[in-house]
Amino acid sequence: MDERDLVLHGLAIKRHATAAAVADAIGLTEGAVSASLARAVAANRAMEVDGAYVIAPLAGLALEARYGLHFGALREDAGFCRAYAAFERINRTLKNVITDWQTMDVRGTRVANPHTDKEYDASIIDRLATIHEQIEPVLAQLAQRLQRLGIYARKLQAALDAAEDGEPEWVSDIRRDSYHTVWFELHEELLRIMGRIREE
Amino acid sequence: MSASLPSDADRYAQPPALPLVEATLSLVQDMVRGKLKKSNMTWDQFRTAGADALITQDDMRAVEARILATGHRFAWSAGISVSERPEAYVRADDAGGLDAGFAHPNAPSGPVQADGRALRGVGDNVVRQQQDLAGTARYIRTRQQVMSYLSNGVPPGTIAVIDDSGGTLTAPLIEHFAGVICAGGTVRSHLGILTREYNIPCLMNAKLAGVKEGDPVLIETTAPAKTTEDYQQGIERVARIWLLNAAQGSSHG
Repeated sequence: MDERDLVLHGLAIKRHATAAAVADAIGLTEGAVSASLARAVAANRAMEVDGAYVIAPLAGLALEARYGLHFGALREDAGFCRAYAAFERINRTLKNVITDWQTMDVRGTRVANPHTDKEYDASIIDRLATIHEQIEPVLAQLAQRLQRLGIYARKLQAALDAAEDGEPEWVSDIRRDSYHTVWFELHEELLRIMGRIREE
Repeated sequence: MSASLPSDADRYAQPPALPLVEATLSLVQDMVRGKLKKSNMTWDQFRTAGADALITQDDMRAVEARILATGHRFAWSAGISVSERPEAYVRADDAGGLDAGFAHPNAPSGPVQADGRALRGVGDNVVRQQQDLAGTARYIRTRQQVMSYLSNGVPPGTIAVIDDSGGTLTAPLIEHFAGVICAGGTVRSHLGILTREYNIPCLMNAKLAGVKEGDPVLIETTAPAKTTEDYQQGIERVARIWLLNAAQGSSHG
């Protein structure tokens, strides 16, 4: 993948993001990404509002049409496909854990988790740590075949460490690279590599 | 390894100037790569003997369909294009045409009540809230709509009506919605997770009919949230969707 497509790919995964956030996601410098995004805006491939970028619909479609060229070899790599299938299995558990983090049963009714019950929250973070142990070897297999994907393993580890160190926002806060934010972006990345559509 | 075209090796090629041309070219090249691979021919065999038979009108229609699915509409130079294929061209009055709304066959429907409300649908409540939520129904189904809301802002009180349970399309906008009605997914879908995180009332798996773009609606977010056990045991536990200020005698069939 050349730099232009890599930047558009990063933007498609981030969906609505600054040049710095896109650079962080794909491992390029902010300067290179800023310049590439400026060219994309000038050519009607992206739109910028208040410093945050969105990929234009037709540019997103053109990018998707080139994924077969960029990722065709990975799609036929048995080891990569096995790792992807493992990710999808663990993803189901992750979604349940995040739902249990956000909500809890109070007197038989499911309500938003006010995060006042430290024991309950700690039990969920323990479950998250278990998921992380399961996903680590999967991430290693993915990164072995596409080195860039190693970024996700580092970000997930950092988010888990912060959550375990008493900063619960790192579990699922949308405005930071929380565990769930990074996981969701990794899922988006893998769906694009494999040429699949997100089910829900 | 997928079959490659001679042009794939051209490292000095610049992308086409226009987004529509680039999208069409990339889609056609992707389709041709697939056909070439399936044919087991060399490129020279394929282009001299196979391509005309292997690439059909339907293949090109599929390319066009993917372009139209982004929300793109072609500019027209003769008015007859619009009248013959209104779905493919920019409308003469530029009105869009997505305002008819969802029409789910199993959506419940009730007569207009004394207070002017009429039942128009149900959905799975993501989190039980203290109050029901009233707002304005606005359908969001194309990236172009998303971009227009990003640059112009989402009107206050918008209850987004969407069918994208992964939040793929609407994620950049979610925090600006007053509420969300999603025609797919479950409360554990990614969209459910996102709306819970922003504490935005949301109904998933909605069955809705008879709510048009801009209609005032009320969603029953005080209903109990649907749980994992409810899904596993097939328990019906729904929140209702009401059309407000419904005209007497306009009960939806």
